[in-house]
Amino acid sequence: MKHLRIFVWKEFLHIWRDKKTLMIIILLPIIEVLLFGYVLTSEINNVNLGVRDLDNSTWSHQLILKFQSSNYFKIISLYTAPEVEHALQSNQVKAVLEIKPDAEKRLQSGESGIIQLLLDASDPNIARTIETYINSITYSYLQKGATQSSQIDIIPVMYYNPELKSVFKSVPGLMAVVLMLICAMMTSVSLAREKETGSMDVLLISPLKPWHIVIGKIIPYIVISFVNILMITGLSYFVFDVPIRGSIILFFLFSALFVVCALSFGLFISTVVKTQQIAMMISLAGLMLPTTLLSGLIYPIRNMPGWLQRLSGIFPARWFVEILCHIMLKDSPIHYYLKPAGIILLITLILLIMSTKRFKLRYD
Amino acid sequence: MNNSVTASGISKSYIEQQALHEIDFSAQPGEIFGFIGADGAGKTTLFKILTTLLKTDTGKAEVCGYDVDKDFRTIRKIIGYMPGTFSLYGDLSVEENLKFFARVFESTLEDNFDLIRDIYVLLEPFKKRRAADLSGGMKQKLALCCALIHKPEVLFLDEPTTGVDPVSRQEFWQNLKTVSGQGITTLVSTPYMDEAKQCDRVALIQSGKILQIDTPENIVNSFPKELIVLKTTENKNILMNELRKIAEAESVFSFGESIHITCTLEKKQKLISIITSTSKGTISFDTQAKPDIEDCFLYYMQREHGKSDN
Repeated sequence: MKHLRIFVWKEFLHIWRDKKTLMIIILLPIIEVLLFGYVLTSEINNVNLGVRDLDNSTWSHQLILKFQSSNYFKIISLYTAPEVEHALQSNQVKAVLEIKPDAEKRLQSGESGIIQLLLDASDPNIARTIETYINSITYSYLQKGATQSSQIDIIPVMYYNPELKSVFKSVPGLMAVVLMLICAMMTSVSLAREKETGSMDVLLISPLKPWHIVIGKIIPYIVISFVNILMITGLSYFVFDVPIRGSIILFFLFSALFVVCALSFGLFISTVVKTQQIAMMISLAGLMLPTTLLSGLIYPIRNMPGWLQRLSGIFPARWFVEILCHIMLKDSPIHYYLKPAGIILLITLILLIMSTKRFKLRYD
Repeated sequence: MNNSVTASGISKSYIEQQALHEIDFSAQPGEIFGFIGADGAGKTTLFKILTTLLKTDTGKAEVCGYDVDKDFRTIRKIIGYMPGTFSLYGDLSVEENLKFFARVFESTLEDNFDLIRDIYVLLEPFKKRRAADLSGGMKQKLALCCALIHKPEVLFLDEPTTGVDPVSRQEFWQNLKTVSGQGITTLVSTPYMDEAKQCDRVALIQSGKILQIDTPENIVNSFPKELIVLKTTENKNILMNELRKIAEAESVFSFGESIHITCTLEKKQKLISIITSTSKGTISFDTQAKPDIEDCFLYYMQREHGKSDN
């Protein structure tokens, strides 16, 4: 125990002395949460919507008012076709709603094609989102005004995330990315440094046992990881109202499982590399990239081709994000996420066994 | 306790080359045993084997009577090792490095203070300084302190004076004498031939083979050839090429400013007269020069070369 304590003390000194890296691991989570919360959102707010009202009736005025009061759109009135084209081309508006002449009359006589929507689809995601919003506002207006109530009425209820905030989805993903980065990269680089400078040889020729070295290396990063978890959840809770609806204990328990898994990745990388630089390259390219891209943080896993979906399965981040969604957003019963937890546990065990086998007490 | 180090028939090869061939030696308790050889001679490989870091291909080695293969865990507790490169923590202060290694070896600075006092007094003014900011000589002293902090039975120092200034080197050897005075067997490797005289006994090592083992005095005294030391005011390289053409000269080597020539006793006079007749007064002689370790090293190296060529 004394051995372990002195080793952990030394590790904390290394981390504390390396101020630049320390700043990165403390600030990175804050910056990422703010970035994903404020900037990288797919929601729309105050989008400029051009309206060319050729009907100019009470009916059309009320429709426009409906858009205006939704907060999603800022209405810009356009009068001629060239004006419409210019507004779209100059990025003044993202979409133009054109209400045809005699719209109300034609609607009542059952005619279609009374409203035309022109969208700037140079950013297809935004165009699609705007289309959905406009459709839903228009339909709800038409429903209200419709005389015949025989139509099927679909009332969508958004569960778990009623305001459709994308930050709800990014927080679990971010947590996975940040923990993976800190645990896997930092441990692998730190162990590789001991090898590279030769201090590993000095440590081996001492009463220290390999587990002292390994556990001593990972304890500081477990502590830092928990500080980061608290920062990310705190920030997302207070700034973006992201809740933890399920059990806090389970939340921390499964986060700990993921942290141990990420540390095992770091450990394994350090047993196969000789230098810090290669350790960092492998951590970044081999772990960070798949964690960011295949965890569902940026691209939904369901949209990926089958082989990529299967590939994402070998990266624990995907399963961790799934668990966090269950605990944080849905408060699902535990059996809903036992399978992902089991997979993370399995990956961890495999990595630990492989690392122990490869950890060399003596060189060949 | 018998803190000797013995090796018999140790061989080790890497993928491209054989690093050690059939190494045999025995270091007595409390002696300073030096391995003298150029870079790539196999010194580091040998030290890694003796410190149990590296496995041997064949052969057997014992440290304090423990086998380096079977009892490597025991050996690791009773030896001190200082690798060839500075392997302490540069971002930790002198004090912190010492504290760390003392605790790792379940010791304290005070426990064996007698052993490291001479070295520590030199380090003490810098104890708050980060190890990376120390001079080369100070770094080596700190590394020696850390290797000694648990009072090991045997101390392994791999090229401890490489890249260190002459004054610090002298101090370092002085420290080693104090250490061996406390009964610690010290194995040290160095590429500097002039450091051989600091050791009780030395092994000359070249291309993974031990050429000779003896006390430095015996090695020098048993030099079987005659030595002529020349100095020239003309171009040294041209002269050396000329000298190498003379059949009586067995070897011609450059030693700094001078040229060392070896020959047999019978041919010495003839050789001197040949050189005098061609030199036209540009060459000065010393025909009574005593050989040093480097002359012996080169002689044995050449002999070994001749053996392997035949």
